[in-house]
Amino acid sequence: MIKPAASSEKKGAVLSIKTTIQDSIRNLLKKGMDQGVFDAVLIPMRVPAGDSFSYVLIKDKSLLNNAVALPPIMSVQGAKAVSSVTRLGNGTMKIAAVMRPCEIRATIELTKLDQVHVENMTLISIDCPGVMPILDFIREPEKAIKLFENATKSWDDTIMRPVCQICDKSSMIAGDLHIGTLGTKKDAFFIISNSKKGKDTLEKLDIPLNGNIDSWQIKVKENAEEKQKKRKKTHKDLKTKIGHLDNLLDTFSQCINCHNCMRVCPVCYCRLCYFDSDKVKHPSGEYLRRAKEKGSIRFLPDTTLFHMGRMMHMSLSCVSCGSCEDACPMSIPVAQIFSMVADETQGLFDYVAGRSSGEPLPLKTYKKDELHEVEDAHD
Amino acid sequence: MPKILAFLCNWCSYAGADLAGTSRSQYPSSILPIRVMCSSRVDPLLILRAFLNGADGVLVAGCHPGDCHYQEGNYYTRRRFMMLKKVIEGCGLESDRLRLSWVSASEGSKYARVATEFTKKIKELGENSAKNEIFL
Amino acid sequence: MTKALKLTKNTEQGVREFVKFLLEKGNVKGVFTLKKINQKGSVAYSLITTSDELNDAVPFYPLMPTNAGTLLSRFTLNGSTTEPIVAIVKPCELRAFIELIKREQGSLENIYIISSTCGGVYPLKIVAEETIEKNLSQYWDAVKKGEMNENLRPACTGCTEFTPYTADITVDLIGHNNLDKECVLILNTKKGEELAKEMKGEFLERELDKETLKKFYDKRDAAKKKLFNEINTKMKGLDGLIEIFGRCIGCHGCSTVCPICYCKLCEFDSSDSEYKPSTYESELKRRGGLKVPPGTIYYHLGRLAHMGISCVGCGSCEDVCPVDIPLSIIFKKVGESIQQIFEYIPGKNIEEKIPLLTYEEEEFTEIEE
Repeated sequence: MIKPAASSEKKGAVLSIKTTIQDSIRNLLKKGMDQGVFDAVLIPMRVPAGDSFSYVLIKDKSLLNNAVALPPIMSVQGAKAVSSVTRLGNGTMKIAAVMRPCEIRATIELTKLDQVHVENMTLISIDCPGVMPILDFIREPEKAIKLFENATKSWDDTIMRPVCQICDKSSMIAGDLHIGTLGTKKDAFFIISNSKKGKDTLEKLDIPLNGNIDSWQIKVKENAEEKQKKRKKTHKDLKTKIGHLDNLLDTFSQCINCHNCMRVCPVCYCRLCYFDSDKVKHPSGEYLRRAKEKGSIRFLPDTTLFHMGRMMHMSLSCVSCGSCEDACPMSIPVAQIFSMVADETQGLFDYVAGRSSGEPLPLKTYKKDELHEVEDAHD
Repeated sequence: MPKILAFLCNWCSYAGADLAGTSRSQYPSSILPIRVMCSSRVDPLLILRAFLNGADGVLVAGCHPGDCHYQEGNYYTRRRFMMLKKVIEGCGLESDRLRLSWVSASEGSKYARVATEFTKKIKELGENSAKNEIFL
Repeated sequence: MTKALKLTKNTEQGVREFVKFLLEKGNVKGVFTLKKINQKGSVAYSLITTSDELNDAVPFYPLMPTNAGTLLSRFTLNGSTTEPIVAIVKPCELRAFIELIKREQGSLENIYIISSTCGGVYPLKIVAEETIEKNLSQYWDAVKKGEMNENLRPACTGCTEFTPYTADITVDLIGHNNLDKECVLILNTKKGEELAKEMKGEFLERELDKETLKKFYDKRDAAKKKLFNEINTKMKGLDGLIEIFGRCIGCHGCSTVCPICYCKLCEFDSSDSEYKPSTYESELKRRGGLKVPPGTIYYHLGRLAHMGISCVGCGSCEDVCPVDIPLSIIFKKVGESIQQIFEYIPGKNIEEKIPLLTYEEEEFTEIEE
């Protein structure tokens, strides 16, 4: 089980960067494969055409030379990749998965939903500068790579997805190990353990956990606080923009019901979504009745119902990755809205999606004495 | 030696292949037979899977039109096959890697001949690179 | 010669008034058409039951937020419409609906269809860019002159099926420079004639202007050949496919919006297409590495095999793709090559069976060679 260790408990190692951080990560993974600690690695690689990146499950070590931890884009949410590999079971391979904190968090949520099995997986997160909207990369890949490189150096998020720009969890440790690149001395990086599996892995790799990671924690806290301020303001502005039914309807008026947002969402795992099922397929008489009541109805109706229903179904596990907004062909700020609502629903239960696999999903548990404010609230 | 998957219908082609064997007609060991009850059972998706998993060639063999054990199966096979050839061709892949043949239970020598010819053709086309592709 | 009804109004207003008349007379209880649905001017298909709401109808607006074939199918999925409606749809949407009816996914009963010769639609991203209104006058200028518009969906640029086959009433838009002054409703069927007979206007004999349409056809055909040739240069071998589909993220948005892809649970979303851990292990042994999720090329080739026979070339797939893969041209090209084997035009004739569900005892004997 992965529990969030108390700050003082967090143990770290300081490793040196001989060439680049990417190379150091690759060498670490290669070492792990050489020593039999890992049988395979799940990590992004650039696609042959060069215009995108895909997760690849790598068994042949030489492929690691072209692996890229933290590419400029998130084409497929890492948790979806983990689900593709492990939904039907653990298999016999020991796999190291290198992903962003929000992807690890989504994976943790999926363990609670029985959609992944990570007993044979070592989840490794890394400080994340954000990702670019995917079309910005696809249209000019070489230019985008340079932009992203510079943005990573200065930790500047202006070219990133809107929700990345207000993400205060970009260094959150939720897996077994975390690679820290913030607050480090030049030519060094941290590896932090967050679980027994993480600790054992570092032991097997002869990496002693005797490093002081205070400078990382300080920098991370600083960044998080700054982002939290930004997040609060952005959410306040957004609420004003979509507050009131008219504004909400307008925001979703361009929606064409393609359901891309739902399909790319790592948390939306249902093979047959409620909103694609027979439950929403009504006979003509029903549509005509509704049309007569109002004089006209949009066809198909219930666009806003889909979005609010999806919010109700998944916001407690939303990790604000922003994949939904990237996939929307009508440029609706879906991620920004869902992320804002998720903050509020998760906040109700003091829950943070993916923080710990030991924390049950809020709607699958209860306290006998709680939330009295919603009972007979209008008495 | 190329790997050629051969979907053979139970009533005609499989029996024909069997006859080739018992008659000691020589044909290459490239053929990997899979018995199906009727050639129309062969879902085009099975053929696509075979190619993407690395099969160098796929042979579908059934009863002659008019002689299908289930009356009409092979008529549908024929149409589906025409369609699949176009899909493969249209996507820039080698449609010659796919072949349809009518082999009756008594045509052992025909089976051996088709198997030999097809193997030769596949050898000319070379190995299917899908075998080792990562980004499929 | 076919009967037609001429109204001395601009075409759009004429159609609006015609359907208002039908609604008010009770000949139909609902009108299905594109409509401006809010102050912002967002356009979506709507089911309209009152005259007032029809004021915002924009029947021939150059946008296809959803293929209306899917929408009409959804409307009649659980049985034909209980009350008569009139639907104003584009030719490819009508053809898609016919193909869906052949698959028992809808019914034409009690539905009157109005369609038009179609000048094409703009890609949906023009909505996000908020530039569609700017383009409108230029769009209609070109349509009136029988000229090609630029920046349309690629599928529309290369579309040669811009004339509807089975509509009850057709409005001929292409190459008619007096769309501002008159509205001519060509009454193709008995149903259409019945519907229009009490409307005030001039009844005359009118056909589609075949010569003008042939000139337009030639332009579109040339554009289609160019688009197909361009994509062919990229589709050479497995490497070509890997390059084109390399950035596919497996969202399956294309099949969701495709009117022909109606399966409740797509084969490629089902457990049939899931890899077991043991499958990953054996694949990794052989390949050394595997893209996750796997099966991208399989999905696209499989979808071609499943729906290519009925692809109407509407281009919704490419519009919804989050990574700009030139899907509509690929599917249109392969779809047409499949359809040509059987000399089949999807949606042209509702009596014509889907070619893969029927056969001739003597045909395609060359296949054994």
